[in-house]
Amino acid sequence: MQKLFRWASKWWPGLIPLAVMWGFAAWNNTLPVEADLSARSSAALKETVLDKTRIAVDGRDVSLAADAFSEEGRRDAVMAVELVPGVRLVDDRTRLVPEATPFVWNAERDVVRVTLSGSAPLPSMKARLTEAARKEVNGTEVADQMGLARGAPPRFEAAAMLLLDQIGKLKDGKITITDTKVNLSGMARDLGGREAIAAALKNLPEGFSVAANDVKAPPYIFQAYKDPVAATVTLTGYVPDNSVHAAIATSASRKFFTEKVVDNLKASVGAPGSFNTAVVAALGALSRLSTGTLVVSDREVKLSGDALYEGAANDIRAGLGKDFPKNWQYKPEITVKPAAGPVDGTVCQQLFSELLNKGKIRFATKRADIDPDSAGILDHLIETALRCPTTNIEVAGHTDADGEDSFNQALSEKRAQAVIDYLVKAGLPATRFTPVGYGATQPLAGNDTDEGKAQNRRIEFLVR
Amino acid sequence: MPYLVSFHLGWLIGSLLLGFCMGWISVVQRGNGTSKVTARWLGALAAALVAASFAHVVPGRFGYWLDLGLVMFACYLVGCTIGAWLRDRVVSRSQPAA
Repeated sequence: MQKLFRWASKWWPGLIPLAVMWGFAAWNNTLPVEADLSARSSAALKETVLDKTRIAVDGRDVSLAADAFSEEGRRDAVMAVELVPGVRLVDDRTRLVPEATPFVWNAERDVVRVTLSGSAPLPSMKARLTEAARKEVNGTEVADQMGLARGAPPRFEAAAMLLLDQIGKLKDGKITITDTKVNLSGMARDLGGREAIAAALKNLPEGFSVAANDVKAPPYIFQAYKDPVAATVTLTGYVPDNSVHAAIATSASRKFFTEKVVDNLKASVGAPGSFNTAVVAALGALSRLSTGTLVVSDREVKLSGDALYEGAANDIRAGLGKDFPKNWQYKPEITVKPAAGPVDGTVCQQLFSELLNKGKIRFATKRADIDPDSAGILDHLIETALRCPTTNIEVAGHTDADGEDSFNQALSEKRAQAVIDYLVKAGLPATRFTPVGYGATQPLAGNDTDEGKAQNRRIEFLVR
Repeated sequence: MPYLVSFHLGWLIGSLLLGFCMGWISVVQRGNGTSKVTARWLGALAAALVAASFAHVVPGRFGYWLDLGLVMFACYLVGCTIGAWLRDRVVSRSQPAA
């Protein structure tokens, strides 16, 4: 030991080169050590949930600034950095993210984008919500303006995800979660969307409740366009179900005797009450126009177009309002088609025959009451009769062979008279028309089939 | 400590070799070394620096440099001791023969 002290007293000269080496070592290694510790600290924090993490290394001392989402998370983060090999001291500059009271989250949709705003409890959840919104509104821009805050109610994510599912069903609108209350407003994208949203809201996670659901349904629209050039009637829009669809299609094909009915209707819920009655009445009015457009939007009926003559125009303007159910609005914009030039009796006869070949004047079974579906063809017959004002016309009634001859004879006469009454009511002079009943004496076809019978039941116009 | 050693292994081996050489020389070097008083002061200084290092009172880079210096110094001392001891054995073995 004595020796060791003696030797040691002579070791000091080596301290000079040692100091030089120390200087070089410090010079060379300070920055690499700092970079290495910074990288290791960042790696250690990978598992922790932090926001705005900043790591600064000075020598072997690490300064950690970050927003943590819980006291525990904050402690864990500091601990993780302290346990990094080589770290000497940790300067804890972490803090908790502010708590939001109330905790509000919004999803707003307008024409061009979906905006998510308010607070999200965790960065990962924020990303998941944005992603879910993107998936839901495929193609539409999603703007993420969410901040981070503590204080989200339990099961917040499940609630927000469910509500994001609904944003796809909105045309525009806003969904808000305020603590555990949910508010919705806006307009559904499709008919039935409002109901679908209301149904989905029943599955909100436990604890959440709907404070207000002001989502409106889009208008229930039915449209019909009568195009005389293409000889078509195009039906578009919605009908409540298949039976109403069939009823409307049948009624349309009876009313529009010269046009082809193009049926583009779709079935959807959400129809206003008495939809069927209103639409059938409106189609009846449309059938009396030479060209026209019918738009039924919720409980509002708009009909525009040209009537065949002044009387029909007045009738359509005034009379049809009565056919609509209560609470419905009827807005006719009817003009009168310019009168066609006069023609002589032969042409008139030809026109009558053409019209009556294409369509039929229909009556109630075994009675002389004119079916309202025949208003269209009667208007055309009246228009034609107006073009040859000097002619006299025999209106001939025919029946099928069912029933007694005397009954059929009387029925055919009454039906002919009913037609004349209709023409006179429309403004034609009664003196021009003679009613004749032929009963079943002049059949056009055999009376043994329903088809033949239908052909035999007819009204004919004969110019004399 | 293990981190410091592994990160600066080259420099520490250098210090060890430097110490080994210094120890090797010191056994046969003539003349007086440091006086006892000086040695005590130096010892006290070293102890104070070690204490400062363990107490983490020196912040940031200076703290790192202090730690590095002390580890290098420790290696130097170990090198010196080994060098001096080996030289002493070599010298004492050759003396009886001479």
